[in-house]
Amino acid sequence: MNFSLISLEIAVVILALGVLLGDLWTPAQHKRKLGYAAAAGLLLIFIFSIFARKELFPSGGTEILADYAFGKMFVVDGLATFFKQFFILAALFVIIMAAEFADRIKTGIAEFYSLILMALAGMLFASSANDFVLVFVALELITITFYILNSFQRNRISSLEAGIKYLILGAVSTAFFVFGLAFVFGISGTTNFSELHSLLSTNPVLGTQPLFLAGLFFIFVGLAFKLAAFPMQVWAPDVYQGSPAPATAFLAVGSKAAGIVLLLRVLFIAVPQVALEWTNLLIGIAAITILYGNLCAIPQRNLKRLMGYSSIANAGYLLLGFAALTRTGSSAVLYYLAGYLFTVIAAFTVIVLVTRQQDSDDITVLAGLGRRSPFLAAALTLAMVSLAGIPPLAGFFGKFLLLKAVVEQGASNTAYYVLVGVAIAGVVMSLYYYFGVIRAIYWSRDPNDLSPIAISIPTRLSLGVCMAGMLYLGVNPEPAIQLTKAAVKVLNIGI
Amino acid sequence: MNDVLLNFPWFILFVPLVSALVITFFTKRNRGLSAGISIGAIVISFILSLILFVATGTDTVTSPKLSMDWLSVGNFIVDFGITIDPLSKLMLLIVTGVGSAIHIYSWGYMHEDRAVSRYFASLSLFTFSMLGIVLSNNFLQMFIFWELVGVSSYLLIGFWYERPPAADAAKKAFITNRLGDFGFLLGIIMVWSLLGSLNFTVLQEVIVNNPAALGGLATVVGLLLFCGAVGKSAQFPLHVWLPDAMEGPTPVSALIHAATMVAAGVYMLCRVYFLLNLSDSFALEVIGWVGGLTALLAALIAVQQNDIKRILAYSTLSQLGLMVMAVGAHQPVAGMFHLTTHAFFKALLFLGAGSVIHALHHEQDIWKMGGLKKKMPVTFWTFLIGTLALSGVPPFSGFYSKDFVLSAAYDANIGLFVIGVIVSVLTTFYMFRLFFVAFLGHPKSESAEHAHESPKVMTVPLQFLTVLSVVGGLIGVNHYVAKAKVFPGSEHHFPWYAEFIAPIVHAPVAALFGIFAVVVGFTVAYKFYAGAQRDPLPGKLGALSRAMRGRFYFDEIYSALIFMTHEAVAKLADAIDRWIIAGLLVRGTHGTTELFGRALRLVQTGNLQTYAFLIVAGVAVVLFYVLFR
Repeated sequence: MNFSLISLEIAVVILALGVLLGDLWTPAQHKRKLGYAAAAGLLLIFIFSIFARKELFPSGGTEILADYAFGKMFVVDGLATFFKQFFILAALFVIIMAAEFADRIKTGIAEFYSLILMALAGMLFASSANDFVLVFVALELITITFYILNSFQRNRISSLEAGIKYLILGAVSTAFFVFGLAFVFGISGTTNFSELHSLLSTNPVLGTQPLFLAGLFFIFVGLAFKLAAFPMQVWAPDVYQGSPAPATAFLAVGSKAAGIVLLLRVLFIAVPQVALEWTNLLIGIAAITILYGNLCAIPQRNLKRLMGYSSIANAGYLLLGFAALTRTGSSAVLYYLAGYLFTVIAAFTVIVLVTRQQDSDDITVLAGLGRRSPFLAAALTLAMVSLAGIPPLAGFFGKFLLLKAVVEQGASNTAYYVLVGVAIAGVVMSLYYYFGVIRAIYWSRDPNDLSPIAISIPTRLSLGVCMAGMLYLGVNPEPAIQLTKAAVKVLNIGI
Repeated sequence: MNDVLLNFPWFILFVPLVSALVITFFTKRNRGLSAGISIGAIVISFILSLILFVATGTDTVTSPKLSMDWLSVGNFIVDFGITIDPLSKLMLLIVTGVGSAIHIYSWGYMHEDRAVSRYFASLSLFTFSMLGIVLSNNFLQMFIFWELVGVSSYLLIGFWYERPPAADAAKKAFITNRLGDFGFLLGIIMVWSLLGSLNFTVLQEVIVNNPAALGGLATVVGLLLFCGAVGKSAQFPLHVWLPDAMEGPTPVSALIHAATMVAAGVYMLCRVYFLLNLSDSFALEVIGWVGGLTALLAALIAVQQNDIKRILAYSTLSQLGLMVMAVGAHQPVAGMFHLTTHAFFKALLFLGAGSVIHALHHEQDIWKMGGLKKKMPVTFWTFLIGTLALSGVPPFSGFYSKDFVLSAAYDANIGLFVIGVIVSVLTTFYMFRLFFVAFLGHPKSESAEHAHESPKVMTVPLQFLTVLSVVGGLIGVNHYVAKAKVFPGSEHHFPWYAEFIAPIVHAPVAALFGIFAVVVGFTVAYKFYAGAQRDPLPGKLGALSRAMRGRFYFDEIYSALIFMTHEAVAKLADAIDRWIIAGLLVRGTHGTTELFGRALRLVQTGNLQTYAFLIVAGVAVVLFYVLFR
């Protein structure tokens, strides 16, 4: 058994424990700085992961390679390495954000950091999962840490409410997942993705059995909860609104991406034969999710809640790539996620900073931001513009690739064109509320607070990286496209 | 032609630009130095032009050194080049020669003004732009300088920008010109798309090889190009800006709005005459009649004006009309000839008027002048000669050029000829009206009583221009310019002494009618205005006189028309915006989506049980679809 395959996971867990231990010897006034230490550790791990990836893909990712461990439960392939780097980067930004947020967490900021790292470990395992059992374990690791993270501001009733809602609805979704898993195992006799795939190809009748399909659908539902996609989207606005902002950001980026990678693995590695039959289902779910998120966001005045609906809408856009049922679509999903990472992190970092003085998440807190801190205003504006899908930012190119992937499939099913229409309508609707945020930044009437906002150097750096990332992905998309194309080579579907 | 000489055109063109830049950026504070630089620049250009003229004579010079690649997009190639032929050399001499006289005069006229440096910088910029038009070897370059001339004209008309009429006049001139330029640009684009080049020489070759190259669009192209001239040369119906442009300083009126810039339209028509003179084009007919109409209208209006500069302005309009008419009558050489002599005597008249205005402390009403013969002898005599030349009294320059125009009209169309004769009568009439009232008789105001002669710096340019106005018709301008390759056919040549009587010999009808017109005009003017204290005409003509004084109400009609169209278009746009775009499209869509949003929000109650129920219900519905579709 090759332990080097799980070196990243081991490193992250050690880092998480190290932060917990370090907390014991760190004086109270310096605890916040533990976050920077954790971030530095993550940066090292990220750099290490780049070398690890080079080792896995000596010729730059043109070949399909997969190393297995734990009796084929655990796989390291292009998809896994892509997502691992993605998660590490996300956690790095979120920890810097959490350090900025530290003064609002009355007890145990070190635990907050440590929990983020634990959730990260769960995500890293999820990206390598090749067996439903490991999927379940990884998912629970992520979900349970988030129960705590979401309710971490114990002095705030809204934070507790968010934690409870996430806990109960998460439990419902887990129930669905386990229930489905039991069906699938009961019918097929295996939980391993590779085995399931070969079983389905030798025995096509299996893919038509109602119990098997119901089981798969329940598993899909359990994963859709992570994505905040229909029919599991209702929790997102409440939980996003109540949770501490760094936890929300990690929920929006990390947890959602974990759902994405697991959905990719389940649908396109384990049961592609069934997925290809689910065209209309995926189209329908994508369309409903897009419409739901965008329509609900329109009257929204609370920033974090707005981001919650925006998160639902974006889950819908991501599902476009699934609905295409091609590797082009899947690589577009990965590309979109990369842009989404920078965008959401930038937005939440600004929200964390702006809401520090004012105990409100209302959109009016942005009033006068253009004068208080042109840098933050620029970062948030760029994020909103990117989310709205305006060139030349990452959000535009991501949506473009997703829609392109769907349109390419249009010949096989006219419903694809309807989906494209819905997606474009959604984008147009989203312009309204995203630009509402921009208007609040620059054109609010009589902002009462015009004090400048202090920004620490690590935050400044992370915002700078996010802005650069949004611009770079939008202006020069080619390298990232090559990366995502290499990552989706392992999927058992057509190009 | 040697290489040194080939550099001359570039110097002639760019020395005024350098002067404008140096004044603007370095010597603005030093009034004397600024004026000196500007005057020096144009005199240098004049001397170089003279040398070029003497050295190359009637040659058309071509050399790779006179052109460089400037723009090249696909097969759209534009060079920045220079044309040296008799046409451009004649214009060079007019612009720099008359320009030099006016620059020098300006120093006397303007030197009390606060912003003298700005004045001379603008004047130099104008000179550069005008020379650019004259020397351009292609349409695009010409158009750019064409616009630059518009800009510098704007700057100079609005020189006293703190006075609202001046600022308004500048705007009016610029906008009216832009209207014409729009057509001009369309014409240029059409020329390029139909003939594939913008270079004049290339275009002429194309047309010579294939006269039908423009096909059925020949008339359209011709008229669109003519639009440019209609704007710049203030032809009907865009003539309204020129009289208002008199709000600028008088030397500016003399240089730009009499002698050079307004002539650019005529020059351009001559430059592209080969594009107009096509067998299947009616452009020249239209051009001829527009010119004739402008000449007649402007002459009629001039009869009842009382502002000395406005009389001259309408007279300019009228003469420009005659030049355009000559081009339309298939005789561009006549147009250029009249342009040249007109530049001499009209500059002279304007400067003379400026001298009077200067002496009378900016009094411009001719009925408040009078009795200037003794007080301002130089101005008096030079103005008299200018008047004689403009009226077309032989042997002054105006007689020869106007005769040429009349004979061209006589050959082309009897209607145009009649118009030309009537205009000649009116011209003599209004000029002598001006002369009798403003210069003779008793002083009619305090300031006229105390007027005295202007300084030498102003009178010497007057004398210089007087000489040109006298001999301008006899120095062979017409024969010289006829050598330009853009004009078809050859020209008769007489020995110099025969020039005196050439018109009588060559075209007796036109010459006799011309002289007859002068006699009639003078007689009537003498009868009405010699010693008059008030204008007798309004009593005799009644409504017609009021209409003439009111300039046939063009400005009023235009404002009303513009206001009405403006209002109508604005109302329509407002209605579309308010009801269709904002109402139906924006508010409708916005309302519908907002409604859906709010309705969906009812789902998001925040109640955990509801959420759990929604999830399970949603899953149940989709599961039903998955299993039993």
